Amino acid sequence: MANNAEDIENNMQNQQQSNGSPEPAQQPQEAGVTRVRSRGGSGAEGGGGGGGGRGGSGGGNGSGPEQNGQPPAARAPRVVETEEDEDEELTLKYGAKHVIMLFVPVTLCMVVVVATIKSVSFYTQNDGQRLIYTPFPEDTDTVAQRALNSILNATIMITVIIVMTLVLVLLYKYRCYKVIQGWLFLSSLLLLFFFSYIYLKEVFKTYNVAMDYFTLAVIIWNFGVVGMMCIHWKGPLRLQQAYLIMISALMALVFIKYLPEWTAWLILAVISVYDLLAVLCPKGPLRILVETAQERNEPIFPALIYSSTMVWLVNMADTDRPKRNSTEAASPQQETQQAVASPAPSSPSQDDGGFTPSWVSQQEHQLGPLQTTEETRREIQQLPSARPPVEDDDEERGVKLGLGDFIFYSMLVGKASAAASGDWNTTLACFVAILIGLCLTLLLLAIFKKALPALPISIFFGLVFYFATDNLVRPFMDKLALHQFYI
Amino acid sequence: MNLERLPNEEKLSLCRKYYLGGFAFLPFLWLVNVVWFFREAFVKPAYTEQLQIKTYVKRSALGLLLWVAVLTTWITIFQHFRAEWGEVGDYLSFTIPLGIP
Repeated sequence: MANNAEDIENNMQNQQQSNGSPEPAQQPQEAGVTRVRSRGGSGAEGGGGGGGGRGGSGGGNGSGPEQNGQPPAARAPRVVETEEDEDEELTLKYGAKHVIMLFVPVTLCMVVVVATIKSVSFYTQNDGQRLIYTPFPEDTDTVAQRALNSILNATIMITVIIVMTLVLVLLYKYRCYKVIQGWLFLSSLLLLFFFSYIYLKEVFKTYNVAMDYFTLAVIIWNFGVVGMMCIHWKGPLRLQQAYLIMISALMALVFIKYLPEWTAWLILAVISVYDLLAVLCPKGPLRILVETAQERNEPIFPALIYSSTMVWLVNMADTDRPKRNSTEAASPQQETQQAVASPAPSSPSQDDGGFTPSWVSQQEHQLGPLQTTEETRREIQQLPSARPPVEDDDEERGVKLGLGDFIFYSMLVGKASAAASGDWNTTLACFVAILIGLCLTLLLLAIFKKALPALPISIFFGLVFYFATDNLVRPFMDKLALHQFYI
Repeated sequence: MNLERLPNEEKLSLCRKYYLGGFAFLPFLWLVNVVWFFREAFVKPAYTEQLQIKTYVKRSALGLLLWVAVLTTWITIFQHFRAEWGEVGDYLSFTIPLGIP
C-alpha cells in the first residue's frame, strides 16, 4: 500500500456504476447500470431498471489504490535500506485496518436485509411480478424448462448490464458528465423516495400499525431530502454512510423480491465472472473507465461510493504531500495531544492511525522520534503541496467500496436466508464466507495496488458455502440432532 | 465531510443553509444541524463565527421542538380517534390495521 497521495487521487476514478434498479413489472424504467469500479458502485442502482443492478462492479473494493496509507515517503537517506520492509509492513497494517473498517458497513447492510426478509413477508412473496429484464417464468413444468428459462433470464440481464456499462464508459469518454450526473441523481431519487415508501408501507402492514398520510408524507419527505443532501452534497459523514447502507439494502431487497430463484443464483455467478473480466482484462470497459479517469486525473462522482475516512499521518516535515488528519474524533485534541513518542497514547477519542505502540516505537527507533502532534500536522497542511488538495479530500482518503458490492453481498445473504431450508446455518455460513472473501480481496488489493473487482472472491465463496451448507451440512446437523449425538 | 477541515466561514455558511433548509417542512434537517454543529457551537473555544453558529443551532433546536410537539400531538390524536372517525379515519389512513380496533 504504500500508495501515495497521487495514487489515491488518481484512483478516484472509480467507475461509476449505476445500477438499474429493478423495476417492478408495472414500471419499466431505464436501468442505469454503470459500474463503478474501484470505488464502488453506486447505489444509483436505483435507476430503475431492472435488476440490472449491478453493483457488482466489484470494483475493486475501493481500497485499492485508495488505501490511504501514506507511507513514510521522504525518509532521511540513512534509513533507505529499511524502506522496503517498512512499506511492506505499512501495507499490511493499513490493509488490516481497512478490512475491519469495511466489515462494519457490510455487516450492517446484511443485517438490515436479513432482518427485513425474516420479518416482512412481502419481500419473499411471489406475486407473479417480474422485472422486464427477466421475462421467463420459473414456475414451469419440467426442470429442464426451468433451467433453460433461468439461463435465458440471466443472459438477458447480463446483456443489459454490459450494454449499460458500455454506455456509461462512452458517456464518460466523451465527457457527457451532465448526463451521468443526472442519471445518478434520478436513480438515487427513485431509491430514496419510491423504494423507501414501499418499504415503509410493507413494514407498517407487517406490524399492523395505522399510519396517516400526513405523517407518512413528512417522514418520506424528510428521509428523502436529507438523504439527497447527504449523498450528493454535504452532510455528516456518519449520516452519509448510513444512507448509503440503507439504499444498498433497499436495492438488495428489490432484487431479492423480483428475481426468481435460479435466475438469481445464476446472475450472481455470471456477474462475478463479468466483474472479473471487465476490471482485469485490458479491454474491459471498467478498466478503460478507470484508466481514462486516471489520465484525466479526475474524481468520479464520489456520491455513490461508500467511504470511511481515515488518514494516516506517518511522517512529516519533509514531504511535499498534503497530509491531513481526518479522524472524526480529532477535534478535542487541538490543544493537548502529544502523540507518539513512545507508546502511542491511544486515548479513546484519538485514532492512533492503526499504529500499535510497538510498531510506533520501532518506527521511532529507526527514524528518530516521530511526532504526529496537532501542531506538526497543521504545519504539514500548510506546506505547499505538489498536488493541490482535492476539496472532497476526506472522501478520497478512506477505504472505499462500491455500493454495488454491498448490494450483491446483501442479496446473496438475503436470498440465502429467504430460500434456504437450513435457515440460520446457511445464512451465517454465507455471511462468514462473504467476509472472508472481502478480507482476501483487500489483501490482494494491498499486494497488487490496483483496481480489483470485489465481487468474484466473495460471491464465489458465498455460493459455494450456500450450496454446500444447504445440501451437505444441514442434513448432517439434522441427523446428528435427531440422534442426539453431539460433536 | 469532516467539519474539522473546513474554514470557519464555510462552517457558518453550511450551518446557515441547513437552518434555512429546515423551513421546508424538514425537521430532520434541523435535527442534523443541531447534532452536527453542537460541538462547534458550544464546546469549541470561541471564534468569530461561533456566535452566529450558536444562534442557528439554537433556532434549529427550537424549530425541531416545535415540530416534535406538533407531530406528537397529531399522531396521538390520530391513533386514538382513528377508529371512531369512521370514513374520515379511513380516508386519512395510509395503512389500516387488521382486526378489531
